[in-house]
Amino acid sequence: MTTASDNSETTPRYHFDRHTPEYRENFLEITHDMHAKCPIAWTDTYEGHWVAAGGQEVFDLARCPHVSNDHDVHNQRRGYKGISIPKMIDSEGFRGGMLEMDDPEHRFYRSALNPYLSPAAVRRWEPFVDEIVRACIDDHIETGQIDFVDDLANVVPAVLTLAMLGVPLEKWTLYNEPAHASVYTAPNSPDSGRIRDLYMNMVVDLFTNLAEIRETPRPGIINALAELRIDGEPPADIELIGMLNLLIGGGFDTTTALTAHALEWLSEHPSDRIRLSAGRDTLLNPATEEFLRYFTPAPGDARTVSDAVNIGETRLQEGERLWLSWAMANRDPNLFDEPDSVILDRKANRHFSFGLGVHRCIGSNVARTVFKSMLTAVLDRMPDYRCDAAGAVHYDTIGVIQGMRHLPATFTPGERLGPGVDETVLRLQKICEEQELARPITERKDSAQIG
Amino acid sequence: MHVRVDATRCQGHTLCAMIAPESFELDDVDGHAHPIHDEVPEEHQAAVREAVQSCPEQAITVMIEHLTRARAAHGAPTEDER
Repeated sequence: MTTASDNSETTPRYHFDRHTPEYRENFLEITHDMHAKCPIAWTDTYEGHWVAAGGQEVFDLARCPHVSNDHDVHNQRRGYKGISIPKMIDSEGFRGGMLEMDDPEHRFYRSALNPYLSPAAVRRWEPFVDEIVRACIDDHIETGQIDFVDDLANVVPAVLTLAMLGVPLEKWTLYNEPAHASVYTAPNSPDSGRIRDLYMNMVVDLFTNLAEIRETPRPGIINALAELRIDGEPPADIELIGMLNLLIGGGFDTTTALTAHALEWLSEHPSDRIRLSAGRDTLLNPATEEFLRYFTPAPGDARTVSDAVNIGETRLQEGERLWLSWAMANRDPNLFDEPDSVILDRKANRHFSFGLGVHRCIGSNVARTVFKSMLTAVLDRMPDYRCDAAGAVHYDTIGVIQGMRHLPATFTPGERLGPGVDETVLRLQKICEEQELARPITERKDSAQIG
Repeated sequence: MHVRVDATRCQGHTLCAMIAPESFELDDVDGHAHPIHDEVPEEHQAAVREAVQSCPEQAITVMIEHLTRARAAHGAPTEDER
């Protein structure tokens, strides 16, 4: 048997470190370089791993049966390290939910969550989403100033995710900061201790909710996890908390990132903004997919090769780590005409932004719904908004999420339509309870009635 | 034109139903796609072709009828357009 180091002369090699600010700054150049020279390559960074950048390579590997998502925390199987390279400090002790499981285990979780997150299930929440979006905008509409990240794109995904989980909505602020800050705060930052404490508070609250719901069931995804059985046995609590962390990590920061980048781009391209707003009946869907492709909020996932496999001329060996770059595959000129341009009505946009294969982002329908509601509300109520480029803060690195911390904007003030976020959250909590909105689609078919 | 969604490949990305809502429906529980009609009416064929080209999992195939018939007449296997 050969190993990667044995093939060092024939193996394509490429220095790749996606956690450096240089990767963010030189993303286009690196992407073009890899597509031209080595759509799959070995890098020595982080104890060595493969990097798949080409569309075909990422497609084949994401759907390959010899590639594993397993994070074997206690070294009971083959010691695989899950979907992060390097392994995150926070994830040392536990798995990141079903995204770090293979089938059949992954399938049990997925089947339990699908009826809460399918397109039909998410459609029921549209009036709820529109209402919290309205409230976010109403808090700022009379002033002519808003931060699209802090005041809108952070709030809506947080409130909706908690509603779907079955966590009381007024706790959204307890979840909001750690969910974002744990992504953008470097481990050596002076703020990292505080963020870790906030993160732990959030985890404690999840445990508390899980215990409460076991005692007195109330509808939502936490209840589905509390009732989950795998071969007749309930999974350990730590696995359920890992799954909830995945839903929060996946549900909060990514949707914020997509919305902020799209609003920033539309500020810089006012004629496209007018065209999108006027033609939204036909343009909103393809434009949403195009923003997903172009900005790729979750830029990739790691895997472990579980059996030797050939990708073109390149042989990957069992146990080797692998980075699947959704972001770079999304710019492959073999798949996309003018891959580095935003084309609002792009056709044949088979983008990689929700991943591929059995691990396709289970929250994709939530992300689209929330994004579209926020975007159209801004287009309707702040049609002349302009982002303040000097105040916009992008994440320093895009190794985990291609996100934004702040995006201030100004616009011609308008009229308030109703109460602000604090009052609306209390009202929505009551509606959630009365209408049992967080039930799965199998138990409740009707849309939320907001009145 | 016949259309088929390979259930083993479909992962519920929902792009087909977004692009060709007259021709694909999504399962309420898992969001996986199914063709609404075996035979795609003329006016919806362009949208179905676009859906084929937009499926991230390449799970949709269409078979053109006259090709299917011609090949069957010659004892050849039908050819899928992927």
